[in-house]
Amino acid sequence: MSKTIDEAPGAVRDARRAGRRRTMSSRSRKEAFYFWLFISPWLIGFVGFLLGPMIASIYISLTEWDSFTPPEWVGLDNYAKALTEDPVFWKALGNTFYYAAISVPLGLAIGVWLANLLNKRVRGRKLFRTFIYLPTLVPLVATAMVFKMVLAPSGPLNEALSWIGIDGPNWLLDPTWVKPALIVLSAWGAGGATVLLLSAMNGIPRELYEAAEIDGAGAWRQFWSVTFPQITPVIFFNLIMGLIGSFQIFSQVYILTAGGPDNASQMVVPLLFREAFSFYHFGYASAVAWLLFVVIMAFTLIAFRTSRSWVFYEQEVK
Amino acid sequence: MENKIRRRTLVQAAATAGVAAPVLAACGSGGGDADGPLKMVVWGGDLDKETYQARIDLFEAENPDIKIELQLIPSDQYEQKVQTMIAGGDGPDIMQVAEGVNTYSSKSQILPLDDYAKDAGLDLEQRFGPVGNLYSYEDKVYAIPDRSGAMIVYYNKDLFDAAGVAYPTAEWTQEDAQAAMEKLTVPGTQWGYGGAGWWPQWWSFAYQNGGQIIDDSGRPTANSPEVVAALQWANDLAHKDHFVPTAAEYADMGPDMGGDPAFAAGKVAMNTTGFWAIGGLLEADINWDIAPLWRGAQQAVSAFGSGLAISRDSKNPERAFKAIEFLTGADAQEVIIDKAQDVPANLEVQQSDAFLAPAWATKPINMAAFGESADFIFRAPFIPQWNEMQAAFNDNLGTFWNEGGDAQTELDKIQAQLESIISD
Repeated sequence: MSKTIDEAPGAVRDARRAGRRRTMSSRSRKEAFYFWLFISPWLIGFVGFLLGPMIASIYISLTEWDSFTPPEWVGLDNYAKALTEDPVFWKALGNTFYYAAISVPLGLAIGVWLANLLNKRVRGRKLFRTFIYLPTLVPLVATAMVFKMVLAPSGPLNEALSWIGIDGPNWLLDPTWVKPALIVLSAWGAGGATVLLLSAMNGIPRELYEAAEIDGAGAWRQFWSVTFPQITPVIFFNLIMGLIGSFQIFSQVYILTAGGPDNASQMVVPLLFREAFSFYHFGYASAVAWLLFVVIMAFTLIAFRTSRSWVFYEQEVK
Repeated sequence: MENKIRRRTLVQAAATAGVAAPVLAACGSGGGDADGPLKMVVWGGDLDKETYQARIDLFEAENPDIKIELQLIPSDQYEQKVQTMIAGGDGPDIMQVAEGVNTYSSKSQILPLDDYAKDAGLDLEQRFGPVGNLYSYEDKVYAIPDRSGAMIVYYNKDLFDAAGVAYPTAEWTQEDAQAAMEKLTVPGTQWGYGGAGWWPQWWSFAYQNGGQIIDDSGRPTANSPEVVAALQWANDLAHKDHFVPTAAEYADMGPDMGGDPAFAAGKVAMNTTGFWAIGGLLEADINWDIAPLWRGAQQAVSAFGSGLAISRDSKNPERAFKAIEFLTGADAQEVIIDKAQDVPANLEVQQSDAFLAPAWATKPINMAAFGESADFIFRAPFIPQWNEMQAAFNDNLGTFWNEGGDAQTELDKIQAQLESIISD
């Protein structure tokens, strides 16, 4: 074993791994100390406020608990009740799927479209970019109030529809149209994704477009063969975040419809909130939360699995 | 390449953002010591805070050795906050309760007060009349009434005069009311009545018909003929007769529109609601007054109110009760009306000049309507599963109220749900 300084770093590491894994030099001990010191706020927060409650909620989901009196062990009854007995759970889950299945792709499509437009060299481009992002900064409560007016039976939206001969529905009051109304509201927040996509588009090297142009590619062809593959990682990121966010939709429902009419806009998180904090069924609410966790996990995994075939990373040359 | 997006960073970002599970952190620090200040929680807004504080100041002036810390919680978060406090072993000494009182009493989270009342020589029947034992569960009283006012009819005098209709009285029948609504309706611009979609409204009609939502033995009777008739009548007023704005018509008037704001805007001629509308209407541009609710086969009307209870965590329930006794006594209750907050539950105050001709009234108001209504307030079923019962109604009646429909069909479904909720 040599200790010459000019030896390749890799060799030193090999030597360490082979011989003295347990004894640390005082410097690396100090380093380890600082590592734990600086990571500790996050670790304590994670264990105390996330991991701990999560484990507790597994236990609670196996009990019947009103938060006042001691929990009563019921085994898997809460899960069985949700899956086999409670029609509202299935309705809420169905509504949540409906919402996620449309709002996520729609949000991405609008985001890509807007980003593509904003990427063009037009006058006042910065102003437009600001305007597109602005809606995401408006507090949701304010947005919801505005949407109540916009979606009123004789409101501006239906007014606009009547110009093209469509007799608009009573949006928030109609069981068939209340979910599309929530989806319209979700599209309002597409500006957040737009900004990320825009920065990804900005990073695409000009040479690629020049090369494509020389090859005779038109604007459409350039978009599909150059722009789109280059921004797939950001699209993928937005897809995952959108999936998680839309499965956990809460405030919009809580403010705009409270789940009505007749549970037509009831979603899983508002449902579990109601079960826990209004009906005092903490056990059942925790079970619903874990069922939602499984659903979100499954969809996230599917997204990751399939991503290999469509997400393009520059360092993996294909 | 400067703009490489690495796969790993994205994966990490997605994983960190994570999939959150519900966080149930119930950490409590235990209440103060026995001689410390009493903690009192109430819900509401600025006016409520001011009024409760003024009453507490009176109490503290008379009892210098007892301090009360008032905590006001916004109404829509009140239940959750109090629940978290109690679950964490840090419940308030004095808490405001209303329809949900038996959620707490049935689980022994608040103390029975009969013995305290007896020791203090407080006769609830004498001080509060029939509402004295409103907040009782299994023959024990769990809260002392504090605010209690019947639902009343607000009517727009100018619209009545223009239509040549006599002003409403307690002697009106449901038919009289409907006939008046018809005359007061101008299709598309003015409606006779603000509607009865809220439980205190249409339940009043059900009890007027002799029906009950939950019968005296505790069984649900939501689909009895009397209840069905009341619900159908209330709904037909909007969708068949068009004397009441439909949900769509209300939505067109603005966000969060309903009977109260529509009445203030002069769009509906009659509206049934609680005392709280008076303050705003004094500044409104219409000529109005109030009357007791009309009757059906019998007289019945719902009441809005709240009581004061003592949580199981109170270190010194004797002191807390002493405070409650004072706060519901005549001196402190007069503040409620002086500040135009609500109807005081104390009968003596309800019949006093301070109430019948309040100083803030810029016009004569028939305040006696509250006292008149007090005689026929029906007792709403404050079951421990109150919130679930309300959800059962709301979950099934949404489309019914919005678009019209058959009351029997909906109430049959609700009845089945109530049976399963109550047997649980």
